[in-house]
Amino acid sequence: MSATLARPLARRVIGLPDPVENTTALPVPEGVIDAAYEALDKGHTHYTDRPGILPLRTQIVNALNQQYVLDLNPDAVTITCGATEARFVALKQLAPAGSTVLHTGKSDALQAAAQLIGVKLTKTTKHPENVSLVYLTPKDDPAKISAWCAQAVTLGWWVLWDVSGGLTGHFHPARLDALAPQVITVGSFSNALPGWRVGWMAGSKAATKLRAYKQSMTICTTSVSQWAALGLEDN
Amino acid sequence: MLVANPNIPEDVRAVAADGTQLRYKLMELSAQYPDAIALGRGDPDLATPAHIIEAAKIAMRDGHMGSTPVAGLPELREAIAEKLRAENGLPVERDNVIITTGGQEGLYLVMQTLLDEGDEVLVPDPRYTSYDEAIASAGGKMVLVPTTHEDAFNLRPEAIEAAITPKTKVILIITPSNPTSGIVTEDRLRAIAEIAVRHNLIVISDEIYEKFLFDGWKHFSIGSIPGMADRTITLNGFSKTYAMTGFRVGYAAAPLDFIQAMTRVKAATTGAAASVSQWAALAAQTGTQAPIREFHRIYAERRKLMMNGLTDLGLDYSDPRGAFFLWTNSSSTGIQATELAYLLLKEGRVLIFPGNAFGEKWGGYLRISVLQSTDLLTEALERMRPIIERYRAQESS
Repeated sequence: MSATLARPLARRVIGLPDPVENTTALPVPEGVIDAAYEALDKGHTHYTDRPGILPLRTQIVNALNQQYVLDLNPDAVTITCGATEARFVALKQLAPAGSTVLHTGKSDALQAAAQLIGVKLTKTTKHPENVSLVYLTPKDDPAKISAWCAQAVTLGWWVLWDVSGGLTGHFHPARLDALAPQVITVGSFSNALPGWRVGWMAGSKAATKLRAYKQSMTICTTSVSQWAALGLEDN
Repeated sequence: MLVANPNIPEDVRAVAADGTQLRYKLMELSAQYPDAIALGRGDPDLATPAHIIEAAKIAMRDGHMGSTPVAGLPELREAIAEKLRAENGLPVERDNVIITTGGQEGLYLVMQTLLDEGDEVLVPDPRYTSYDEAIASAGGKMVLVPTTHEDAFNLRPEAIEAAITPKTKVILIITPSNPTSGIVTEDRLRAIAEIAVRHNLIVISDEIYEKFLFDGWKHFSIGSIPGMADRTITLNGFSKTYAMTGFRVGYAAAPLDFIQAMTRVKAATTGAAASVSQWAALAAQTGTQAPIREFHRIYAERRKLMMNGLTDLGLDYSDPRGAFFLWTNSSSTGIQATELAYLLLKEGRVLIFPGNAFGEKWGGYLRISVLQSTDLLTEALERMRPIIERYRAQESS
């Protein structure tokens, strides 16, 4: 077979970075393996519902409620193939090509996705009219978070609140009533279960639209992984 | 007509123009009826073979739970390359293969990696509408190529040639086809390959149902034709063949530069497929293939039952040469397919997808899957009978 396809590839893929491979296997809690075994024995080897299994979505809203006093319905949660898919889906659906995505610091998690979608990453609000979405994590400077959330309310920016590093602190942008419909929370089980590929996105008035787009990419997230993630609760 | 139809609830009408959303809406409604018989989704009802489940457990026991490389587990890529060489005649090595998170992701990634704004993709009509979404998401333009009932929905090379414009970049082939269960025969594939070479086009060949052909029909891969290897992207997966849709493992095979770029896109969009799933898929690929032969026998029996049942109901269907579906002409009932599907669900508790969920002009067809036991298929046919007969009587009076 020739090394190259007979026609040029899409322009959007030129210069995309090589993947950063991290194949380190972490010890997996026994409860996770038990949950996975049980799921396999029960025949949970077929498509799950498009949003993901209800017990896992319920676990996520409970965790968000406990940490941030957020009152979300499990219907507002979609289980994704890691936080990577959740971030990509949110960007692809909410940040139009040519617009700007605002972030405070390291943007490695967004750079390749931004290139594919055709959005520009920026750390300054010099042209607020071009901003479509602001990407924030609990580790960002609280003063900046506060200022940008205020601007997001005024200017209608989407807020992507990435807690894939862990549910930390007690502030959450969706606690601001005026901002809540514009806030998508993205999280992940990958810190504990990197090879299982389970993440999630929750909340916002765009939840249904985001779910439909995720479905168009991967239909649903791996069933046994979802059940395994549920096993983390006991740990 | 559909938009104003009072027999269909507003939430169904609201999504009637979007094939994918319409299918999901009907599945959602079906979930309200515990006694509904699902002949909608293409998810095999049969259990995943035991040796595949066991392999997943062994993978966990052995600690194979870290991320794999984004392109997939090397052992699995190697096993797939070997399969593609031996069974499909494709000249591929391990590095020509990428593991995807199911077949649908394969399609999505291929379009993202290949299409620029305005590039045209020739797509057989009717079609699984996820193709529409994947093409549109990459800025491409879908150009429909007609296929007909009389021709068993085989793809006609002259119809492809007629649809080519200076913007055409891709011919999409799905054989066997979802929703029609037709196949593209070898003679037609050879003619299509000649067109692809002459017009310098890429062929995407979706072969996810390749293991389920009937009545002596044989699968043929267009990528095996001399001169096609550097212009063919072959898509396939484990979901349908091994009844393991929930594991989400598919794959694509293509020239090296394409696979490398597709891997970068995958890293940016979803990351590697789940590790345990890939170990399970490796067992599927390298272990006994006896379960597939048994699945084939079961599907053949069900297919025959459903064909006879539909004939009894006076419904015509196209020649189902492969896959799991009966693409059934329902126009004799006199009602549009979405309304008929809704009534079959509401009154008969049988979930069937309307033809217009697979293309706007197919409102006179139903896609009926055979992914239920023979007892349930018999029951479904009995439930359908009074509804079909009532509407047909109204139509003729």
